[in-house]
Amino acid sequence: MSYLHQTAPIASSARVMRSVSLACLPGIAAQTWYFGAGVITNVLTGILCCCLVEALMLAARSRPLRPTLADGSAMLTGILLGAALPAGTSVWLILIGAVAAIAVAKHLYGGLGHNIFNPAMVGYAMLLVSFPVPMSLWPDATGFGAGDVQNLWQGWLGQLDASTLDAVSGATPLDALRQPAGASVIGDANLSSPWAIISLAWLAGGLVLLAQRLIDWRLPLAMLSTMAVLAALLNQVSGTGSVAFHLFNGATIMGAFFIITDPVSAPGHRRARWVFGAAIGVLVMLIRGYGGYPDAIAFAVLLMNLSAPLLDQLCSGTHRSATDAPRGNS
Amino acid sequence: MNDDSHSSSDSSSNSSLTRQQARQIAANGLWSNNPALVQLLGLCPLLAVSGTIVNGLGLGLATLAVMLGANGCASMIRGHIRPEIRLPAFVMIIAALVTCTELAMAAMAYELYQVLGIFLPLIVTNCAILARVEAFASRQPLAPSLLDALMNGLGFTLVLIVIGALREALGQGTLFDGMELLLGSGAADWVIQLPGERHMLFMALPPGAFLITGLLIAGKNAIDDHIARRRPASQPPSEQRRVRVTGTIH
Amino acid sequence: MSTLERLQRWLGLGGSCAPGIRPDTRKARTRDLGIQRAPLPPQVSLALNDNSHKPWAETLLEVNDGDWVRAGQRIARPVGHLALPMHAPISGRVNLTGAAAITSTREHASDAPGIVIVAEGCQQILTMRPLAADHASPEQIFERIAEAGIAGMGGAGFPAALKARAAHRAGIDTLVINAAECEPYITADDALLRHDAERVVSGALILARATGATRIVAGIEDDKPEAAEALSAALATSSLPADVVIIPTRYPSGGERQLIDRLLARRMTPQQLPVDAGVLCHNPATLAAIHDAVIRGLPAITRIVTLAGQALSAPGNVEARVGTPAATLLADAGLDTSRLAKLIDGGPLMGHQRSLASAATTPTTHCLIAATEQELPSPPPPSPCIRCNDCVPACPAGLAPQQLWWHTRVEDDARAKAHGLLACIECGACDYVCPSHLPLAASFSDAKRRLRVADAERARADQARARFDARKERMQREHDEREARRQARKAALRRPAPKTPADDHAPTSSAPADLRSLRIAQAAAKAALRKAEKALERAAQQQQPSEVLADLESQQSTAREHLEAANAQLDAARQEAPTS
Repeated sequence: MSYLHQTAPIASSARVMRSVSLACLPGIAAQTWYFGAGVITNVLTGILCCCLVEALMLAARSRPLRPTLADGSAMLTGILLGAALPAGTSVWLILIGAVAAIAVAKHLYGGLGHNIFNPAMVGYAMLLVSFPVPMSLWPDATGFGAGDVQNLWQGWLGQLDASTLDAVSGATPLDALRQPAGASVIGDANLSSPWAIISLAWLAGGLVLLAQRLIDWRLPLAMLSTMAVLAALLNQVSGTGSVAFHLFNGATIMGAFFIITDPVSAPGHRRARWVFGAAIGVLVMLIRGYGGYPDAIAFAVLLMNLSAPLLDQLCSGTHRSATDAPRGNS
Repeated sequence: MNDDSHSSSDSSSNSSLTRQQARQIAANGLWSNNPALVQLLGLCPLLAVSGTIVNGLGLGLATLAVMLGANGCASMIRGHIRPEIRLPAFVMIIAALVTCTELAMAAMAYELYQVLGIFLPLIVTNCAILARVEAFASRQPLAPSLLDALMNGLGFTLVLIVIGALREALGQGTLFDGMELLLGSGAADWVIQLPGERHMLFMALPPGAFLITGLLIAGKNAIDDHIARRRPASQPPSEQRRVRVTGTIH
Repeated sequence: MSTLERLQRWLGLGGSCAPGIRPDTRKARTRDLGIQRAPLPPQVSLALNDNSHKPWAETLLEVNDGDWVRAGQRIARPVGHLALPMHAPISGRVNLTGAAAITSTREHASDAPGIVIVAEGCQQILTMRPLAADHASPEQIFERIAEAGIAGMGGAGFPAALKARAAHRAGIDTLVINAAECEPYITADDALLRHDAERVVSGALILARATGATRIVAGIEDDKPEAAEALSAALATSSLPADVVIIPTRYPSGGERQLIDRLLARRMTPQQLPVDAGVLCHNPATLAAIHDAVIRGLPAITRIVTLAGQALSAPGNVEARVGTPAATLLADAGLDTSRLAKLIDGGPLMGHQRSLASAATTPTTHCLIAATEQELPSPPPPSPCIRCNDCVPACPAGLAPQQLWWHTRVEDDARAKAHGLLACIECGACDYVCPSHLPLAASFSDAKRRLRVADAERARADQARARFDARKERMQREHDEREARRQARKAALRRPAPKTPADDHAPTSSAPADLRSLRIAQAAAKAALRKAEKALERAAQQQQPSEVLADLESQQSTAREHLEAANAQLDAARQEAPTS
């Protein structure tokens, strides 16, 4: 029985969640800079809806509300979900996403620590499949103040009709991958393009997490290096975008540092984590190149979440000390 | 699943149906032993074709017809068939009935027949039918077997209709769309358009069907729990097991 | 470690690098104060081992209630093969009546019989005859160690004589002095080495000579420089080659297997013991006790205990008699009971909580911590495991506590065992780092206990089954023998008995029985003949092939012969016994 417990700065899972949430701020700030206040409403609505659904599920499961709500995991899911959705998404969509993420992916599997899938990605994937049109309409990256306040309020309520949405939205660079002859749009990524700056901001947050040793460095390294290698190869073969294009567009960096590093849904063993990260990189490149969805992070992550327990089992095997023979005389 | 065959096992020679028995069979087939929500049989067609009410209704009625016929036939030949070959015999009966139903539907509701596609012939493999034949009809006289088939089929159909309604409402925003495929052209104006333009594609796809079925099962369990809590606790449990508390076994 | 191994470790593809944790050691208050001799307590409480649960540690009391015993006198005899003799720590009267509330050495308080000795009379300690260490044989040394009741004083309490004998049999080459003392608060070994390193070294040399070790290696942490120096100085004059290795301060570096791996790079599977790797490992206090037992003839009735904790105003290391009530010891150290929140027997990571009223110094107590609430606060309630894997680099045995937790949580002990549960040394490092405050070490020790119980039951069941099988076999054998005898008797009756003169004069005491059985035999022979004749008729009618007819004919003639023989025997028997 241990009576001595760590009193170091990182002493509880609540603090872990809060530190990760803080590290999301640079990325969100960059997104707000380019896509307007819709990002902030997304994130705030996401937090609110996720916490609300979590409270309802805890009440339905007859669990105490205070300790579980205070551990910040619902808040973090809300932030990530809000940041992943296109700016200015309506509250109904975010609510449905929160239900999918918190109620279905987290509580129906047993609560924190028991979920197999990353909750934010389940919510995002459910929304992507259910409402393909609103989910692919990102506003133009024309800087802060994109879309006036009236549009924002109506958009939040879900009252904008399709034509207005079309008028204020633009495609993401990754959409060009879906066009058969989109070679003119794909090229070397300009590092001062909006998406590149956003990716760098997420990278900054991710490096902060690495420095605080809150995430395992093997996961982002495996994923990004695999993607880089594959992008370079495929670019030579069929011109599907350079390394910088793939790494600095869309949610790649955010996924690498914030999504796949979720400890509950990733495998625990060191070697398994290498395989996990690399496989996600491969899947992302495959789905981007040959699949029907432009940004494939969510599906790649969900597919690999399924195999995380198997990877753990394969990589750990029997315990090392049970098979080591003693050295020295005997 | 076997409780209903035990409860009326003494009436194998007496073919009349008491009200008590009939009530029991109906309750089992519709609620406490529902093929889709409790036995969890026949889930493949359930999930695949319950996209709209008319699809669900069509498949449900086809399954009901096959169940009635199969139960009836099995009950009538139950004394004459050798136990070793009963299962192939039953499957043959079911296959013949399914073929008849399929041909009938092709003749009378051709568009629906096309919509249902391969799931009509697949009724042969629907375990719900074989389960009722094997567990009930092959041991019971004719009248209870037919009633059991009717109730099970109705239970299955009702679940199909509910799921179909939910999926249609959420995924398409309509109710009773396409009823003319089954019920003739007079039913074409039964369509109800629900308000709202945003439709959840997820619900129109099989994953949505899984989710809704799961929620229905959860709902049924919740209702059962609620009823059980409200029932007075003076009723002893139905199964008493004697526990040996004294003595040693030599 | 080769470069490749280092690179592998760095990339996370190989073994763990420097496992363990670095908590605040909290030793500053007690390390520099030397060793005080605790005043003689007015009474001591000792606990016999709980016989029902641990028959291997059974001891038999040799004194009665009201007897006066002398300090050092043996009061309990070892019976189980892992038991130790118990000696009276002070002279006084034995009181067996009020001893129900003594806690035993294990965490679960047992209703083991306890012994209270109330101090009275001359306190001179009864000693054994000192041995000349250089001339004594190994067996004499081991016997002396066993007689003195020396147990491993590092906390495990395993009989030192058994360990030494096993080492002697297995043939070891190195004696390791485990002076790591990695757990926070504890400074008992540090103080002992600083002030009395010669005794420790003397004990080490005695043991090394007796078990055949050719080398002594001492492992000590780098936060104990004075002790390291004292130990080096004492070892400088030893007759055997000796090394003092300074290891970085980390918990738990003092675990036997981890230390041996660190000092000598020898690894063992969980089923093996250090002697299988050619090593005998001992705590300095145990070695000093061996010196006392051999050179001075003292039984193991005192030990050094660290008294620590913020609730004490005068903490330090004391040499106390075994069985001294904790209340007495701590009162002498200035205990403020109003500030006392927890009393812990042992270190803060592996110790157990006790109540002040019932705790006493046992032969394995090395530390008593009187902690205030702020010093060792109760942890918050556990939250679910988030698989952060912080526990994996902390585990000194290279296990994945997180994986073991998921299995032991649902009592799937077999799978936990497959993942290496038996290698767990229950050090509590994983508890320390877990951000969800899960009770990992407690869960693992529960699982190990369940496995032990299951193994014992399985062994009992196997034994019962073996006995049952043997019994069945025996009964079958007896049945077969009886059957064979019966058959032999029947065969002897059927066969025509050879007419020897002896037979005619054979006693006919069982004549009626013989006649009856002969008549039965005759009837049987008649029936057989009839059957053979019928078979032959039928075969002839059916025009069977000639071989079949020949067979049946020979059967018929054989049956006829049998009938004639039976008739002859019956006639002969009738003649002999006219009253049939």
